[in-house]
Amino acid sequence: MLMPRKPPKGFRKPHHPDRHGASKGGNRVVFGEFGIQAIESAYLTNRQIEAARIAMTRHIKRGGKVWITVFPDQALTKKPAETRMGSGKGSPEWWVANIKPGRVLFEMSFPNEQIAREAMRRAIHKLPMKCRIVTREVGES
Amino acid sequence: MSEVKIAAEPRTEFGKGGARRTRRAGLVPAVLYGHGEQPKHIALPAREFAAAIRHGGANQLFAIEVSDGTQALALPKAIQRDPVKDTFEHIDLLLVRRGEKVTVDIPVQLTGDAAPGTLVVHESDTLSVSADATRLPDHFEVSIEGLEAGSKVTAADVTLPDGTELVADPETTIAVISVAPSAEALEGETAEGEAAEGEGAEGEAPAAASEEPAAAAQ
Repeated sequence: MLMPRKPPKGFRKPHHPDRHGASKGGNRVVFGEFGIQAIESAYLTNRQIEAARIAMTRHIKRGGKVWITVFPDQALTKKPAETRMGSGKGSPEWWVANIKPGRVLFEMSFPNEQIAREAMRRAIHKLPMKCRIVTREVGES
Repeated sequence: MSEVKIAAEPRTEFGKGGARRTRRAGLVPAVLYGHGEQPKHIALPAREFAAAIRHGGANQLFAIEVSDGTQALALPKAIQRDPVKDTFEHIDLLLVRRGEKVTVDIPVQLTGDAAPGTLVVHESDTLSVSADATRLPDHFEVSIEGLEAGSKVTAADVTLPDGTELVADPETTIAVISVAPSAEALEGETAEGEAAEGEGAEGEAPAAASEEPAAAAQ
C-alpha cells in the first residue's frame, strides 16, 4: 500500500490538514484518456486508494493502464479507545491524501470506453467522496 | 480557422468582488494585452465565449469589439477555469495583427488503431508551432495505424501544413506504443504494493499503536 518511504521531514504527528477550498492543480487528465475527479473534499487513505485501484484493474483485466495521481503523504493520529483526554497526542494511525474538489485521483487508458467507465464506476464506490468520470480534453490550456 | 466576432465591454471594477459581480452578470473577466500597449480590462459574454472555445478550440481567433469603439484581434493566451463547475473564470487575450506569426500550441490527434495487444500512451497532446495568426490549424493528425509495440511517434512525424513551422523539439514524443500489461502484471503491481507496505511499516507511523500504553491506565 502507498505510504512515504522515509519518516516525514516535518512533524510526525501533524495537525489535521486544511479541508477548505478547491484544488489548485492536478485537476485535468494528463496521462490517460479518462480520469476520476473528486467533487468533494475528503481525506483519502492508502487503503481506499488501493481498493479503488484493485477494483479498476480487476475489471479491465488486461490491455489497459491505470495511473494513481495522488499520494497519501499526511499522517493522521488517533487516541486509543477508552482513553482519558490529555497525556499527549495520539499515535499516527492512517496515511491520507488531502483531497480537494476538482482533484483528479486516478487516470486510465483503455481501448473500450464502456468497459473503462464501468471500471471507474466500481472504483468510485470505494472512495469516500462524490466523484465523477472525466475525459481528457486535447489541447485545453 | 475563421475568426469569431465577440462584443465586449470595458471593466471598471477590479478585485475578487468586482470579478464575482462580473461573473454573476453572465460575463467573463478578461485582459487584453500585447504589442507593448497598455493592458485593457474587458468583460466578455460567457455563453458566446464558451461556444466559440467549444467549437474552435483553445486557439480560436477573436475579433473583439469593445463598446467604447475599440476593435482588436486577439488569441486566448491563458484560460482559467473553475475546476469543479468548469466555467471560465478569467481569460488572458493576446493582441495579434493580420499576417503576424505567432507561436501557439496546436492539439495533436491520433488516428487509426495500433497493432492488437498494444497500449497507446498519448504523451504530449499539443505541439508548439509558429504560424500566421489568422490561419492557425485546428489540429494535427498523426496515424498510429498498425504500429507495433516499442515504436513511438515524435513531433518530426507530424505533417505540418504550408506556412506552419515546428517550434518544439522534433524529438518531442507524441505517443508511445507499448505492450499492453497482462492481468498477471496488474496483479503483480498489487504484490509490489504489499511488499512496500511491509518495508514501510517498520518504524513507520501507523504501526506505533503500542507507543503510549500507559495513557489508557489513567
